[in-house]
Amino acid sequence: MFPNNWCKWTPVALSADVPAGTVIPAWTPTGDVALWRSQSGQLSASSDRCPHRGMRLSHGFVRGEALACIYHGWSYGRDGACLRIPAHPDLQPPASINTRNQITTEREGIVWVVNEAQDEPPPSFDGYWPLRSMTFQASIAALEAAAGAKADISGLIRCTLGGETAFLLAVTKGEAETIVHVLADKNASLAQRIAISQAGEQLRRDAESADALEGAN
Amino acid sequence: MSDPMIDEWYPVALFSKLDAAGRDTLLMGHPIHVARTGSERVAATEADGRSLPVRIRYGHVWTSLGEPKKELFDIPEADEPGRRLVDVGVVRVRCSPLRAVENFLDIAHFPFVHTDILGAEPHTEVEKYDVEIREKEDEVWATKVKFFQPQAAKSAAGGITTDYMYRVPAPTCSVLYKTCPPRPGEWDVITLFVQPLTEELCDVWPWMALYDDEADMTDLIHFQQMIFLQDRSILENQIPRRLPLDPGMEIPTRADMTSVAYRRWLKRHNYTYGAQLVAQ
Ligand code: FES
Ligand SMILES: [Fe+2]
Repeated sequence: MFPNNWCKWTPVALSADVPAGTVIPAWTPTGDVALWRSQSGQLSASSDRCPHRGMRLSHGFVRGEALACIYHGWSYGRDGACLRIPAHPDLQPPASINTRNQITTEREGIVWVVNEAQDEPPPSFDGYWPLRSMTFQASIAALEAAAGAKADISGLIRCTLGGETAFLLAVTKGEAETIVHVLADKNASLAQRIAISQAGEQLRRDAESADALEGAN
Repeated sequence: MSDPMIDEWYPVALFSKLDAAGRDTLLMGHPIHVARTGSERVAATEADGRSLPVRIRYGHVWTSLGEPKKELFDIPEADEPGRRLVDVGVVRVRCSPLRAVENFLDIAHFPFVHTDILGAEPHTEVEKYDVEIREKEDEVWATKVKFFQPQAAKSAAGGITTDYMYRVPAPTCSVLYKTCPPRPGEWDVITLFVQPLTEELCDVWPWMALYDDEADMTDLIHFQQMIFLQDRSILENQIPRRLPLDPGMEIPTRADMTSVAYRRWLKRHNYTYGAQLVAQ
């Protein structure tokens, strides 16, 4: 699972799920983030709470190179600094107003976030490409049991889904919730990708009912 | 519960909709039952049968779990002839009752949350206005508030600068006075009465006393409900859910002077039901 002793980075989303000019909610061990991509394609992870009145910034909107809050339109740059307060158009916002952004990077279609600079980049999964992200209402142990495989030392779960080899990047979010990014062979056909994706849903049902059974005992 | 908010009056039902079978509801975490007992009579009781004080006013039934030290606040305009009294109904919001009131006092969100209705870019500037805590009445007042609105009310056809006054006569109630397009010089009255179900869940009962005599009643109600549903999408996504009363957790600007006075007034009275006291 991620992050771990060897990898401080957390995989939070697929690059394809954050096109230019959009913002989505994501989760890191440091807290919820608003993950957004500027019009020019730059990615940022701001803490998901506007410093003004606490509104979730993931409900906001991207304009140009800034993220704006949906409540009163305060906007923030890639360094987290507040750029503009629409109620006071002539005011230069104080430097202390900041969304405390984390560090982001993208590698082979996966967005990774970390809260302090790292010497090592996040891992690369040669020959594989992310297919989809899923949230399981299940523990990582239930996920491993359902997948019939354990995470290896690098944190990766290698298993068979829909008759194909797949890799799972799992992130533990609380005790009974796990975020899973599913990777498939780069050259998988559309039919194979659909099969893996459907098997991923079965995996989710299995993991969730295993946890539910455990809870009932 | 040592919170002095226990001795305040709260709306718990629409009088016009209340019948003899009544309604089970929650007030500050306590289950209560409210029912009509006569043409102008209502009874409110706690689960153990204890009967609670009742007032019927401004279209609503009011009660209190404690011993109100003051009579329910007065809205003199409510009795003026020629006004249409509008029972808007109820909107349930998963937020602190205090956050719901604070949002009602805020105009800077109009262009972003009520886009093209109560505000629109680029008209986002909030000009300086006056705020005071009126000691004699013990109320928060904001006056000389102005804002440009594309469609200020159901009766407004085009964009106009609207004048507002805000008043907080009780910790979970606010009265808004706004310029009334059909009658220059008069003020429409729009209120926000909030029933605290718990510290993080409330029923919001808007009510209006308007000079609008053209619009269809259903349209008036729908217009106001739409506005409150837009507000709900904000209120259910603020972190933390409770209103932070200690400075430091959130950053106000000059446009938030009403909110700052409201928080200060709450703190001064130790009105903390729905508040977060220690910055977390
Ligand atoms: S809460 Fe974000 S701008 Fe006000
Ligand atoms: Fe609003």
